[in-house]
Amino acid sequence: MSLHPIAERYIRADNLEDLTLELLDESSAYFAGGTDMIPLQLSGVTSVDTLVDVKATGLDRSIERDGDQWQIGALTTLADLEDHEGLADDISAIRAALRQVATRQIRNRATIGGNLLQRPRCSYFRDAQIDCWMKGGDGCPARDGLTEYLGVVPNDTPCIAVQPSDLASVLVMAGASVEISSPRGTRHVDVADLLAVPTPDRRSLHSLEHGEIIRSVTIPAGNHRRSTYLKAMDRAVWQFALVGLAASVTLDDDGTVSKASLVASGVGAVPHVLSASAAALVGKPLDATTIGTCAELAVDGLRPMSDNGYKLSLLAGLVHRSLS
Amino acid sequence: MSAERPSATPTTVGIVVNGRRRHATVEAGDSLLTTVREGFGLTGAKPACEVGTCGACTVLLDDEAVYSCLVLGVECEDRRVDTVEGLADHGELSRLQDAFIECDALQCGFCTSGQLMSLEGLRRAEPEPTSEDIERAVQGNLCRCGAYRHILDAAEVALTVRSAS
Amino acid sequence: MRAAELDDLTEAGVERVGRPIPRVDAVDKVTGRARYSADISLPGQLVGVIVRSERPHAAIASIDTNAACAIEGVAAVMTGADVSEYAWYEDDEPLLPRVGDIVRFVGDDVAVVVAETESIARRAASVVEVRYDDLEPLTDVEHVDDDDAPMLLGNDEIETEEEGRGDVETAFTRADLLVEGVFHTPTAVHNAMEPHGAVADWRGEQVDVYTSTQGINDVREHLAERLGIDHSQVRVICEYMGGGFGAKQVPWKPTMLAVVASKLTGAPVKVMNDRRSENLAAGKRNATVQRVRIGAMKNGSIVAIDAEIDAEVGAYSVPGEASAVHGPYLFLYQCDDVRVRTRRLRSNLGPAVAFRGPGYLESTFVLESLMDELAVELGIDPIDLRRRNHAGRNQQEDVAWSHPDGILRSYERVAEESGWANSFDRQASERIRRGRGFAAHDWVAAGAMPPGHATVEFNFDGSVHVGLSAQDLGTGTRTVLSQVVADAMGVDLSHIRLSLGDTSTGPPAPTSAGSATVPTMAPAVRAAALAAVDDLLDAAAEHLGVDRSTLSFDGSNVSSTVADVPDQPLTDLCADLSPRVVHGWGSKEATPDDVSPRAQGSAEAEVEVDLDTGAVRVTRIVVGPDCGRILNRRLADSQVLGGVTQGIGFALTERQFVDHHLGTVMNPDLNEYLLPTASDTCEIVHAVLDIPDLAANEVGAKGIGELPLLPVPAAIANAVHDAIGIRFRDLPITRKRVLDALTARDTSTRNDEQESS
Repeated sequence: MSLHPIAERYIRADNLEDLTLELLDESSAYFAGGTDMIPLQLSGVTSVDTLVDVKATGLDRSIERDGDQWQIGALTTLADLEDHEGLADDISAIRAALRQVATRQIRNRATIGGNLLQRPRCSYFRDAQIDCWMKGGDGCPARDGLTEYLGVVPNDTPCIAVQPSDLASVLVMAGASVEISSPRGTRHVDVADLLAVPTPDRRSLHSLEHGEIIRSVTIPAGNHRRSTYLKAMDRAVWQFALVGLAASVTLDDDGTVSKASLVASGVGAVPHVLSASAAALVGKPLDATTIGTCAELAVDGLRPMSDNGYKLSLLAGLVHRSLS
Repeated sequence: MSAERPSATPTTVGIVVNGRRRHATVEAGDSLLTTVREGFGLTGAKPACEVGTCGACTVLLDDEAVYSCLVLGVECEDRRVDTVEGLADHGELSRLQDAFIECDALQCGFCTSGQLMSLEGLRRAEPEPTSEDIERAVQGNLCRCGAYRHILDAAEVALTVRSAS
Repeated sequence: MRAAELDDLTEAGVERVGRPIPRVDAVDKVTGRARYSADISLPGQLVGVIVRSERPHAAIASIDTNAACAIEGVAAVMTGADVSEYAWYEDDEPLLPRVGDIVRFVGDDVAVVVAETESIARRAASVVEVRYDDLEPLTDVEHVDDDDAPMLLGNDEIETEEEGRGDVETAFTRADLLVEGVFHTPTAVHNAMEPHGAVADWRGEQVDVYTSTQGINDVREHLAERLGIDHSQVRVICEYMGGGFGAKQVPWKPTMLAVVASKLTGAPVKVMNDRRSENLAAGKRNATVQRVRIGAMKNGSIVAIDAEIDAEVGAYSVPGEASAVHGPYLFLYQCDDVRVRTRRLRSNLGPAVAFRGPGYLESTFVLESLMDELAVELGIDPIDLRRRNHAGRNQQEDVAWSHPDGILRSYERVAEESGWANSFDRQASERIRRGRGFAAHDWVAAGAMPPGHATVEFNFDGSVHVGLSAQDLGTGTRTVLSQVVADAMGVDLSHIRLSLGDTSTGPPAPTSAGSATVPTMAPAVRAAALAAVDDLLDAAAEHLGVDRSTLSFDGSNVSSTVADVPDQPLTDLCADLSPRVVHGWGSKEATPDDVSPRAQGSAEAEVEVDLDTGAVRVTRIVVGPDCGRILNRRLADSQVLGGVTQGIGFALTERQFVDHHLGTVMNPDLNEYLLPTASDTCEIVHAVLDIPDLAANEVGAKGIGELPLLPVPAAIANAVHDAIGIRFRDLPITRKRVLDALTARDTSTRNDEQESS
């Protein structure tokens, strides 16, 4: 019940290549910004013995425009992204989202890599005393309990936790991908695939395997100047999204929608891509009828629990607000 | 859980604290908050939540405001850490400190160090901050006494061009 | 005593009082040098970490401390077996449970690990093995009357406290109309930034206790009594404290555990709560269910008020818990027939304790929501409706309020500052509505909470020392009391040093609660200062060989009307008088009983409600607290900001939530217990009254802490109604509640349309 030690050992790695899988046994974990890792350790939800600091391994803290894409090093902080004028001009949803993520102190430390790998913020998960499926148990106590902050997108697991990252929705909206490396080699995967509904064998909100690390994030450039991120919270700031919405719409000269991408936060275990809503916009003018249809489609198929039906109204409301 | 969990081995870390390189003995699991308070005897940064949810422990790490409870002491080797104790120059209060007094931007004072350091971080990054910049800088510092409006006033007085005129 | 016997501080000679001088301790606070309890570091100091119950209701089956004791650096693991002679909370409840004893909530104290460092103590605490025999818990007190409800401590005979006057049932038959409703107010947690805790240092037969408290004398007395030692053996120090809001007005277990651990180990021991413990086991505002009906005549006059209140007070009865939810129903409005029935229900949750405006906040929200409903139903302006029901006297005791018109002045000032008479645009944009609301409030503790004593002495250089054993919670006690002394003596503030926050620095002062520190201690220090001046003149008369009546003191010189006696500069005089110490003693020992000291007020709130997202944004609050004389406008403004900000939190974001299946609090943290941030505040206007209430006490200052909070939640809820036509009877008004209500209304509108078509 009291706070636990943050860690027993600390290793500063000076290159990734020397990190072997043996070193990275289950009792150790990579450590960068630490803004999620430290609270998890303190509360006893995780109990990793050794933190392997990767900040001196040569992983990049950089934001580069490389032709038609943005290359972002894994150690780039959320504040770096927030402050970058070029990125804000090109994909306005990024700054819009980041200014609403946690607080400046967190954003000064949290890295883009770590942001995508957060553990669920479900308060049942975060209480070390409570047995839950995500922590290796059998069922989900939240289903019979307090669901106000939890998910409305059905999936095949008992867990109703939601992906907590606002940025993740923006990255999925923008079609970003990540480069992942491990002692076994390197692979590339879309953020939309990195973030995955958990399975009985992989009880986390992402598909990164133990020992793997995100090296960089690539975001296609030039597509989302007209984009935004809306976030609904009970408090003005510093809360995980009740519902968030990353929205990008490109209009033809005649005012009809040529491209649209809408991704919701706070509703599902992964950023929830509103494909039907986006499809309904394409080829139409942004008028009240189109927006109405788009909002209706956004909540289609969602399955609220006892306390979170409001998330449907909220999602529809944010769709309205983002398009109006 | 076994009782034989290995206990952490203390190591020495050298940090440039308020402009002076100092050494402290830290355990692997000691936060920077613990390090500045117990290692360096600087108790301005406060342990109010210890899990990054209140802001009372805010210090500057290489000029950026961070929650010192979410930083390890051991990872600060050779880095610059500034705390509220370093704001005044040989007893001369900084503009921010003066403005906090002038605007009564504090009540119990427990969150004050953190508020000041968040604004000091803004001051170092942004010579001409807007009101929005100021508000964003202190959004991560809770004040249960509710001094926020006076804190915003004080920051305007100390940091903006308008106040100089 | 009678109000007329008060030695009034009249307008003459009031110079320093009222001046907006900066806090005298501000430099300490902006430089990080102010020392709070957790900053105390004594040679050889150990750290204690509390092991807390993981179960809501269980008997302790066993406690195995072997693994913890085996860790290097652990000095002691204290369990109930080690401290069985001590009771806490209640006379029959052990400080720590022994095997067979019952833990009563998740977070209840079970054991304490004492070690050389905090990290060792935490590591050891995590391996203390506690086994429980679970009992059926009750966390949802709405089930307390169920046949199969588990029997909890204190719930065996649930008492209904009934208060009021007249014959309510008959009065309701006369009423033209009725407004009524069932309201829920949430469990709110003080969450002062500084947690509860202490450093205790036993040396020989005495113990020094550095602790964050609103009442150093109360802690001293309470500890001494529980320890079975003299008050003089306990010294309590609270130089600076990081907020209390009521939660620190009684001594809590961490303080006693530090004391006992220090005795056991022979070393200083620090025990501080972590944030989770603060949310589970350090006090809270009781949640209430209030069933209230009000009967009124067509002209708006209230003829009957009937309130039934269930308050959830947690597992233990803590001194200072009895929050007066009944108060506003009895006192705020003129009404001959009032009945209030209150039940205090125990649960398997942490104990409740007073929280800024205890009880009054919860019921002011309800009463003022219903008043607003009444105003709407009758088509009477909300402020006018309140004027029509002005009470002017304490109807329970049949005595006049100390300043019967104070609240009327507040209505006037708030209306003026808010532009209440002006037209108001309710459409901010297509999907955003605006609204404004009004609410009034009463507050009871305006007179003083005696006894309070103080000493004032001249140093040999003529500078002044004031000694008292009150404490400064951050409200500015040090500053305003210094101003009062400066005024009474005519001495410049720069020559005055005021010591407080230590039971050894002065005679007894009351616990700081109920906004009563200033009303109690300002008269006491003033009396002491005047007595010191008296003593100065006595000594000077003797020294100069002149008649006492020829002498006067202007703050820097003692002068005589006798022709050939030169002015005596204070510095020289005090040096000459040495070794005699010129001093005075002053006290506040009684409050007038022929008036009812009240500190009332009102507020106006303006909000915007977003129909798409359910967001309620407060855009402005105007608040007019009748706090009596304002001793320092700058500090009074800070109290106003703080009260309003907490009011916004109570109205919109703050609530503790409990999973009743698990019997546990699900947000014992600041992630999901949502304190307002800088961005949750708004323009806050202090509609200043500054009416010295010289019938309430000698200084005419009634305290301001509680006042600007009390009307705010109701004003906000009324503004939300004004904006969207929906009444929220449950706080806080979250996105979920707004959106659910809007959806329900849309659905019923649609159904009505279908039925009519």
